[in-house]
Amino acid sequence: MDYFLQQFLNGLTLGGVYALVALGYTMVYGIIQLINFAHGEFFAAGGYMGVILLSFLASQGYMDSHPWLCLGVALCLSMAYCAMLAMAVEKVAYKPLRSSTRLSVLLSALGMSIFLQNGLMLTQGVYDKAYPTEFTHGSITLGPVTISLMQGLILGLTVTLLLTLNFVVFKTKLGKAMRATSMDKTMSALTGIDANRIISVTFAIGAALAAAAGILVGLYYGSVRYDMGFVPGIKAFSAAVLGGIGNLYGAMLGGFLIAMVEIMAAAYIPHGGEYKDVFAFIILIAVLYFRPTGIMGENVNDARV
Amino acid sequence: MRISRLVVLVLALCLGTAQFAWAQTLKVGSLSPLTGPYAADGNDIANGVRAAIKVVTAEGGLPGFDKIELMAEDSACDPRQAVAAANKLINSKVVGVVGAYCSSATIPASEVLAEEDIPMLTPGSTSEKVTERGLKHMWRICGRDDDQSKAAMAFIQNNLKAKSIFIVDDKTTYSQGLADNVAKLSEAAGLTVARDHVNEGDKDFSAVLTKIKAAKPDVFYMSLQNSASGALMLIQAKRTGIDAAILAQDAVYHPQLMEVAKDAAEGVYLTFGFIDEDAPTFKKFLAAYEEFGKPGAYSGYAYDAATVLFSAIKAAGSTDPAKVRAEILKMDFQGATKKIKFTENGDSGSNYIIRQVKGGQFINYWDPATGKTY
Repeated sequence: MDYFLQQFLNGLTLGGVYALVALGYTMVYGIIQLINFAHGEFFAAGGYMGVILLSFLASQGYMDSHPWLCLGVALCLSMAYCAMLAMAVEKVAYKPLRSSTRLSVLLSALGMSIFLQNGLMLTQGVYDKAYPTEFTHGSITLGPVTISLMQGLILGLTVTLLLTLNFVVFKTKLGKAMRATSMDKTMSALTGIDANRIISVTFAIGAALAAAAGILVGLYYGSVRYDMGFVPGIKAFSAAVLGGIGNLYGAMLGGFLIAMVEIMAAAYIPHGGEYKDVFAFIILIAVLYFRPTGIMGENVNDARV
Repeated sequence: MRISRLVVLVLALCLGTAQFAWAQTLKVGSLSPLTGPYAADGNDIANGVRAAIKVVTAEGGLPGFDKIELMAEDSACDPRQAVAAANKLINSKVVGVVGAYCSSATIPASEVLAEEDIPMLTPGSTSEKVTERGLKHMWRICGRDDDQSKAAMAFIQNNLKAKSIFIVDDKTTYSQGLADNVAKLSEAAGLTVARDHVNEGDKDFSAVLTKIKAAKPDVFYMSLQNSASGALMLIQAKRTGIDAAILAQDAVYHPQLMEVAKDAAEGVYLTFGFIDEDAPTFKKFLAAYEEFGKPGAYSGYAYDAATVLFSAIKAAGSTDPAKVRAEILKMDFQGATKKIKFTENGDSGSNYIIRQVKGGQFINYWDPATGKTY
């Protein structure tokens, strides 16, 4: 039982990361029906911005006196940076193609992904960049399970961000405008909503969440690499599809489900560790076979942000 | 006017090419992964050769050549790319090749080079097969997997006095081969053996590490082909609270391990070839290497490999493969990393010892030959 709880906690932690990245996919899809393959690169860019900022703060000596404050500053700045990066990418790579076929936008997204990844490689080098992790080694023992400080931080921050996003989308005027735009761009424009601005904001929010996930992963695993965005990008995309792409709750659920399957496969099935991705994708295929719209998905035309 | 200009130009060109013909350049190749997950080790190898070129040039160069030039090719740890790179080196008429890094890339590349009788000296391929195919022009500076696993096993049994072992590998030819050897030896020694695998490139090891924690083994044998993965695993192992002794091997050996894992790397044991860091030959290598930064796991071996090639060419007074081969087999000298004397099959002997990370440094810890701690 202890073992199960411990593995369950591992699954939750990884699930939080997938969920944060999956939200960006699902939001962008919800609003312009684009699968933004460059989304994983925002995750990587966020992780890199985090390590650059934290290393700078450490070199100035602030990390020793106020590590958590530094982390907060780095988190906010890199989320802001990725939000701007995403808006720029949208402007350059997607907006000019808005009236062309879906395929050309998809190709543009793939191209952007390769461009951003190579940009990161050329500017930051091919080696792993180490995070200052000394202050994140602690852990708390709660009865039979040990929760490491990082797991607590990831779960806590993930829940906070999810609740904030939920509030923004369902309780604010901006959220209302986002939901309206995703339902019908033309009609919402007629009511005075600036669709271009809303699309921009959607990209920005999604990328900011991915950036937060990038920093958390950097701290959790201890280092970042230029190609770190690819695999979580694919996983998060699958999570969004599994949950029902376009649906916020679906993306979260999908993220946690995929992570849980991966961890449990590695924990309980002999040789599960090497085939964990296979299990995750078998679940995906099975769900899509019986429910093509995903677990919480509706008819695609009614998809909401 | 025009014609006279043309004449001048032609004359200048003739002079230019004539000068090139007089200035003989010796081309030497290196094959190693300069990009991708193994780029750190690959660049160490190329830089090791560069350091050797620097030393040879400073000591008067090679007779008949004005300059030694390195052609550093990227093998990407991939068999196909390694073969393509080997062909490129053959076309450029290199006199010898230092490389490659991954045994799975070294073996096919060496077959291509063997057809042209080009000497190949590997600084980092530890698979037994590298030298056991009877190639006439294949040499190895580092040790062998079978010897490495024996050294690891001696340590586990005699020093750690372990009763149980948990082995994790990342399914590469190298890591799985070593893991298989250690598993076999452990079973023969009567230890309780548990095994699991991860995938190359995985970042999240929480599931397998929780499994290890629950199994409570005495030793956790970490068989990975990458210091970056090693660092990730060590950080997560520390957080998971694994208190087994952790033993890794030479591919995890890299200064980057401590840079990334920091205090999580403290206390980790690794099998690595013994290097006498006080020897004058090693200090000479360090001085030559300084401009490239801290030497990595294979920098010294690559330096020695290139030194062997250059001294053989110098002694033979020729780059003829047969003469170079004869000189290499005659060699018996103290290199930067080890005493070099080749056997007929091309091995230079294994001298694996156990090193430990202490205070952010690799220190000599235990010698399997004598059973003594340093």
